[in-house]
Amino acid sequence: MLKNNKLYLYLALVILLIWTITPIYWYLKLAFLTPNNINIFPPVFLPDEMHFGAFINLFGSDYITKEGILLPASGQSSQVIRGLMNSFFVSVIATIITMIVIVPLAYTFSRLTFKFKTALLLSILLSVALPPISTLIPFFAMYVKLGLTGTRFGLIIVTLTITIPFVTWMLIGYFKNIPPIEKLGRIDGFGRFETFLKIFVPLSKNGILVAAVISFIFSWNEFTYASILVNGTNAVTFPTSISSFLFQHPHPQHLSAALFLGMLPPFIVAFFLQRYISEMNIVDPLR
Amino acid sequence: MFSKTKKNTELSDLNFALLMALPVIFFLLFVVIYPLGYALWMSMHKVSMFGGLKFKFIGLTNYYKVLANEKFWDASLVSIRFTLESTVLTILLGLFIAIILSKDFKYKTLIRSIVIIPWSISLYGCGIMWAQIGRGQTGFFTAIYHLFGGEDKVNLISRSYVLELLALGNAWNLAPLVAFFLLSNISTIPRRLYDLADIDQMSNFKKFWHVTFPPLRFTIFVFTCITIVMSLKLHDFIYTLSQGGPGRISSTLTYEIYKLSFKNMQLGLGSAMSFYLLFLIVGSTLMLYWLWGRRVEK
Repeated sequence: MLKNNKLYLYLALVILLIWTITPIYWYLKLAFLTPNNINIFPPVFLPDEMHFGAFINLFGSDYITKEGILLPASGQSSQVIRGLMNSFFVSVIATIITMIVIVPLAYTFSRLTFKFKTALLLSILLSVALPPISTLIPFFAMYVKLGLTGTRFGLIIVTLTITIPFVTWMLIGYFKNIPPIEKLGRIDGFGRFETFLKIFVPLSKNGILVAAVISFIFSWNEFTYASILVNGTNAVTFPTSISSFLFQHPHPQHLSAALFLGMLPPFIVAFFLQRYISEMNIVDPLR
Repeated sequence: MFSKTKKNTELSDLNFALLMALPVIFFLLFVVIYPLGYALWMSMHKVSMFGGLKFKFIGLTNYYKVLANEKFWDASLVSIRFTLESTVLTILLGLFIAIILSKDFKYKTLIRSIVIIPWSISLYGCGIMWAQIGRGQTGFFTAIYHLFGGEDKVNLISRSYVLELLALGNAWNLAPLVAFFLLSNISTIPRRLYDLADIDQMSNFKKFWHVTFPPLRFTIFVFTCITIVMSLKLHDFIYTLSQGGPGRISSTLTYEIYKLSFKNMQLGLGSAMSFYLLFLIVGSTLMLYWLWGRRVEK
């Protein structure tokens, strides 16, 4: 009986791993193929020849395969490199601002009762529900007036509109689950700000870390706003810089290599912080 | 020890709350009220782009026009079907993943780290990947079919399967997050309860239903809401996977709004339609809360 259970468990694990990895593998193998092999029919599971040419092309150098075929450098490489740098800059700054704003906010909402609390909470929730596609035009109109289109500053602000509501909502639920030990600090004579900074923040650092990870991943992966507000300018972000591979310059191997690079930062962050995510226990923020 | 003056300098709850929340209230005004108001204003105007931007007030005409447009009703049905399929798949998958990962096995940390990966991938990236998998020429399923001696292409970006492919890809991306939050619930269930269930000789299914499931209900409710909202407002994934095609078969409300506003440049009509979408999003969450959420509050 016990042995059977173990067998089923390992079977389920194998299925789970195959389900997780297959879509990634199926696409990323393109990055390692020669152009002739990409459209080979029927598609193969394990290509017999692989190389790193596409990555080298992507960073602006030619590559010669073993058979002596020249793979020319990608014309988009400067855009892609600039996109990587901009995305990194925007995501890190947006995450830092998000954390500075929401940690005190979520603390206030989870611990204190005051007028208009529910109304404020619901308005935060409403901003989670707003589809970006319908606020895009107003933002675009406003940005043209303020001269913020094509700037990283404008992009950071628009990114905050995505990260702040979602993460606040989540963090309130997490904070409510932490027993109010910091009240003891108040009894010991700490002021409100001291209690918050010296007792509460260290107490809840795992949840705060997860919130930071989520807002970093959200900012890094933001596509809809960036494609309208900064595409084609100096503030181009990584997702929009590779979107030109999609429609204008169809080089599947370059697109695949670029996508792989773009997956790395969120992947690394999620990989090392996953155990904190599985410690997140949330409750109803409205309660 | 506490002098009276010190007590007076202490902030009251309300003041402290205001001090903390004020920046965010301004921010919300800026990012919620302004765009919403602007969109509302635009939805009541006829916007013409040629010969300079011109607005002409036409009242509720845009809203009537949207209701009379059969594309709107088609797109609403597509959105609802896609959302239902995504939500059911995401929650079931999340539950499945959480239960497996809560067991004891070797290399636990490594396997957990691998399973979270799909969630960290952007939705536009997912769209590109799943398009490659579904396409007949390059698809994964074509490869499987050929492995078993088939000759044809298996094209999933077709009239009959594209929505299911979209829902599957969406669930692939969202389920790990659901699973990890459920996992944290499962880890708070005392082991004792399982021992007691063993004494009662409960079957595995009964154990799941009576011991594991009850503490998960609230998280499942929250993530059902999140998945519904996310799927209804999803744009980039559909944009890179199927572009609403083939034909208009996978053209959701978001994609229809995108086409109206940015391809046909009918900004007024697009804004009007986006208010119907907002209504659908808020309405379905409220309904879910009314029917289900009130009962599972801890």
